[in-house]
This record gives sequence, C-alpha cells and structure tokens, in this order.
Amino acid sequence: MLTCKEVLDSLSDYLDADMKEDIIHEMKRHIGSCSDCRAEFDTLTMTLKLYKHEHGTPKEIPVACHDRLVKVLELEKLRSKGAPPPKMV
Amino acid sequence: MTPESKECEESVTAVTDEELVRRSKEDDERAFGELVSRYESKVYSLALRMVRNPEDAEDVLQDTFLRAYRGIKSFQGASTFSTWIYRITANSALMRLRKKQLPTVSIEDQDERETPINIADWTPGPVEQLMTQELQQEMDAAIGSLPPEFQQVFILRDVEEKSNAEVAEILDLSVAAVKSRLHRARLKVRNRLAGYFSDNAKPNRRAMGAH
Repeated sequence: MLTCKEVLDSLSDYLDADMKEDIIHEMKRHIGSCSDCRAEFDTLTMTLKLYKHEHGTPKEIPVACHDRLVKVLELEKLRSKGAPPPKMV
Repeated sequence: MTPESKECEESVTAVTDEELVRRSKEDDERAFGELVSRYESKVYSLALRMVRNPEDAEDVLQDTFLRAYRGIKSFQGASTFSTWIYRITANSALMRLRKKQLPTVSIEDQDERETPINIADWTPGPVEQLMTQELQQEMDAAIGSLPPEFQQVFILRDVEEKSNAEVAEILDLSVAAVKSRLHRARLKVRNRLAGYFSDNAKPNRRAMGAH
C-alpha cells in the first residue's frame, strides 16, 4: 500500500504517466479512496490544464520587433565583414 | 518578385533545418535568414514567457540570434538547431532574470503549503470559462515567484510542452534533475493558484447567490 506521502511525491510522474504500470494502478486506487490526495491530484491537473490552455495562444513576434532584429543582424553582418559602422543619423 | 528570386525563395523554404545550417556555415545569408524567420516567433515567445516583459524579451531575442549568427560555424550539430537555439534563448533569459532578481528564499526553504488546498474553490468546468485576464496575470506571477532555474523547467515542460528529455537537452541537465525541479515547480505554482482561487471563490459565490 502506498502512503499519502509516497503518492504526493510521485504525483508529477503519475500525471505524466511516467511510472511502471503496477504503480500507476496503486496510485489510481489510493487517489480514488483518499479525498486529500484526490484534491491534490485534481488541483494539480487543473493547474497544468490552465497552462497548457495558455499555450494555445502563442505570442507572435510584433512586426516592429522583427524589423529591429533584421536591422541588428544586418549590422552584425557588416561588422563581421570588416565594413565601417554606418553613420548614426 | 522576379521568377528567379521566387525560385530562390522556394529553394530555402523547402529545405530542412540541417541543410540551412550547412548552408549558413558557408556564409549563405539567405539560409540564415530563413532560420531566423522559422524560429523568431518561437524564440520571442519563449523569451517573453521567461522574462515576462516585452523589452527584456526583445533583448533576449536579439542576443539569441546574434549569438547564433556568430556561433553557427562552430555549431557541431550534436543536437538539432531547434534545441540549440532554445538553449541559447534559455541561457540568455536566465542571465537577465538573475541580474534582475531580488534576494529570495530558496525553494527548499519555502513553505510548500501556504494555503490549504480546497478543490471546491476551483470552479469545476471548462478551462475557457475559468480563464480571465486576472487569472492569466496570476499565472504569470506564479511562474515569476519561482527561482529562475525552476521557471525554465516549468515553462519548457508545461507551457511549451516539451518532453522531459528535450528539456534536459536544452538545459543541459539530467532527466532526473528536470523531473525533480518540475515536480517542485508544479506544486509551488499550484499552491499559488490555490491561494488565488481561495480568495476569489467566496466573492464569486456571493455574486452568484445575488441573482
């Protein structure tokens, strides 16, 4: 039988299904019958769902930021080829 | 666009990262430009998640591609270009976070259970209904409350959804170290959100009762 501490220490691996099949079954049985561990499991599951949902809205690079990156890389190319730095306006 | 330039355009967009790296090593500027356009949004997105403000994220973005440009010739290809560019991004972001970080207690010293976990506080139902701007800010703040090394693991694993093995490769850690940091980071983040839901649950219930 797994203790609550053992279950809590392994929750992350359990969520990732990153453990042996027989331990998964024991974890499942414990969580099914222990309300404290179930609350731990449910809230941790919800936490990860929230962050995974957030990933569904990727942060695109702003156009101005892209343009500045291109300029920085162009300057670096000139610099690496030994060209004099362009005059600052 | 002339037919010739269109042909050239297609010749870089259709090739693999490995081929673009090979051409970049031979000073093919167009090939490096294609790598930039393939990865700039991914790098920016990861940087923004790690440093949490657009100005620092842009600094990390520029620093990352400058380092990649200068280092491409010595890139051995032991990992993929994707892993390599993420590694540069993560290191650059970590340096910025460390510079800015105020003295904090280490994660070992922090109380793992500041708020009793009460599942009833977490509105059951679809994530979409739960997601508000305020919650998103709280989620960002929860990540920000972690020590930088734990933030990196959490963001790569649970926000960017990379595997433990990929995170280990990007951060140059063992898989065991990734798993250990991940577990503690997840608990810490969950505890912070539990506090948020606990504080918000009661007013919400009152508001619902008023109807």
